[in-house]
Amino acid sequence: MIRRVLLIVAVLVALAAIAFWALRPGGFARKTTASLTPVPAPTPTPAPETRVMLLFPGTDGALHPELRTVPLPAELNQRVRVIVSQLLAGPTARLLPVAGYPARLLDVFIDGRGNAYVDLSSPPQPLTGSFNELMLAYSIVDSVLLNCQELKGVQLLFDDHEVQTLTGHLDLSRPLALNKSFIAAQ
Amino acid sequence: MAGVPRTWVRLPPPPPCFYMRSITHILALLVVLFLAALPAQAQPAGTVTFSFDGNVAQVPRFGSRIELMPVLQLIGAQAGYSQAAGTYVIQLGNHQIQITPQVRFALVDGELEKTNDAAVVSPGGIAVSESYLDRVILSPFAYHLERSGAGYRIAPGAMVAPVVTVRAAAADFGTTTTLVLTLSRHVAVTVTAGAGRELLVHFSDARPQLDGSLPMRSRRIVAIRAAANTLKIELAPGQGLLASHQLTGPDRVIVEVGRRPPTPVPTPVARARKPKRPTIVIDPGHGGADSGAVSASGLEEKVVSLAVATRLATLLKRDGYVVRLTRAGDETRALTDRTALANRLDAVAFISLHANASTVSSVRGAETYYMSLHDATDAHAAETARKENAAGAPGRRGGSQLDLILWDMAQARVLNRSALLALDIQRQLNSFLDLPDRGVKQAPFVVLTGATMPAVLVEMGFLSNPAEAGQLADPAYRQRLAEALARGIEEFLRSSS
Ligand SMILES: [Zn+2]
Repeated sequence: MIRRVLLIVAVLVALAAIAFWALRPGGFARKTTASLTPVPAPTPTPAPETRVMLLFPGTDGALHPELRTVPLPAELNQRVRVIVSQLLAGPTARLLPVAGYPARLLDVFIDGRGNAYVDLSSPPQPLTGSFNELMLAYSIVDSVLLNCQELKGVQLLFDDHEVQTLTGHLDLSRPLALNKSFIAAQ
Repeated sequence: MAGVPRTWVRLPPPPPCFYMRSITHILALLVVLFLAALPAQAQPAGTVTFSFDGNVAQVPRFGSRIELMPVLQLIGAQAGYSQAAGTYVIQLGNHQIQITPQVRFALVDGELEKTNDAAVVSPGGIAVSESYLDRVILSPFAYHLERSGAGYRIAPGAMVAPVVTVRAAAADFGTTTTLVLTLSRHVAVTVTAGAGRELLVHFSDARPQLDGSLPMRSRRIVAIRAAANTLKIELAPGQGLLASHQLTGPDRVIVEVGRRPPTPVPTPVARARKPKRPTIVIDPGHGGADSGAVSASGLEEKVVSLAVATRLATLLKRDGYVVRLTRAGDETRALTDRTALANRLDAVAFISLHANASTVSSVRGAETYYMSLHDATDAHAAETARKENAAGAPGRRGGSQLDLILWDMAQARVLNRSALLALDIQRQLNSFLDLPDRGVKQAPFVVLTGATMPAVLVEMGFLSNPAEAGQLADPAYRQRLAEALARGIEEFLRSSS
């Protein structure tokens, strides 16, 4: 009996905690001050299943396409997040991972000039070799730009910071454009 | 429970027998607990007084920060939260700011701006530091914070002059150089000759920030620096300001630089006399504190690159070329200094030598790269030139539209020749290594940016591959590698002369 009551108490406390967190102004139902006119937030639409082309590095130093059918939101920022998350999840075929370390997607920004900023967690130890740098950058840049035609460039950020370069070779201080020279000839 | 304010009302722990009572009692306790928490949030520990245009608001503090929403309400800004992007959108007049909690970036009128600190999630939605409020939020709306008693007054006028992004591009013509400064928006500027070899571009009520995305290819312009409201342009000896004018659509400042006839500055003899034999600059990658890639046995990229570079230099010197290394020993060299040396020496080729690494040890092979033309900002510059031509924008000088096109063409010419150099080197490496041809690839490498001569980056093999690491450690292999590189370089120079 005591155990049962304790269990019910535990469940109720958990529910109350969730309700409290959700209803507080900073919770997931975060609202702006009532008297302010809210800028309409993008309405969530069910993402349709879409075929996307993801580019993964091969041992030949080229990027190889892998086709995947994923729910792809119409909203650009969300679409970039899906593409990058799919890339970071790794290839299914006999291709190489995009990053030489377990990189996490921290954030995505889109500016008014058609550039996406992909914020990744930085490598735990400094990476070396232009191969690692080129493959990481152009897997993401080319995959995002091929699947999001309205974008012109992609810049990689690491831990919210702009970097000049990751391994001392590629210029990462500005958005990179689509680079077809790394995509494997079919 | 993270996120609960410190003023949370803590009830004393109930006696153990309490749990034996009915569930109704427990529910009642939870409701009391819940309700007790709500008013606690509405009355945060401290408030700060903000005044604006005769109105006053008591703005709650959140730790060292202040709640943003009441401040926005005070100045009449509209704010909304996009759940999809996790971003707050703040609008006032024509200006829009997007901020994301925990992120040190803000989008101000569509431009990504770095911030010194980040906004945080707070009971009122979002809280920011005073300096963040001043610089990131109020400044774009042309307001600033002023201390007023224990609180603040929001006063008109941005405290810091708003930033104008400047993209500089230069094109050398016979005896003059045209510098094109493309501005992100219209700002009135004055161009004057400063002290010594300096030109000053003064921006009225704007802080120039250099974009730095386009490589500077000029023998008459040494450096460009931004300082407060001024852009300082350092010229080569003997060069001066010939003319300047401002164009709109897109907003640009055109500066003509050349030898000023009335005050001839004596040029050093060494500069006037050009070397008879062509100079090749070889750049051993990395060096000093930067070891580059390291093999499992401890062989460092900086050691391999210097060893092959030294051998390559000996071979090229033997064949009559003047050869300079960007570093003679184990020294740290900035990437931009390496290309600058080649530009200064008016070299005919720039070769940066590297050894590669992959997290996958089976990856192997050599590859030659050259600079990318089709990067986002170059595409932007080309688009700007096209737009101007289509619009037939009135230029005070007929050549202004041509300048960008000529600059593009000059850049394209250098890149085409870089591609040929890369192909000649890669062909030699392929036959030497007996590997299938991977072709040459383009990318914006920092060390190749700004080179005014054919420039390539050679990855000579993978230190992460045990077989190739073994080869790269072998002096005989290094010699044969240097011979293959020398053949490629000389083949290019022969065919292009
Ligand atoms: Zn390197």
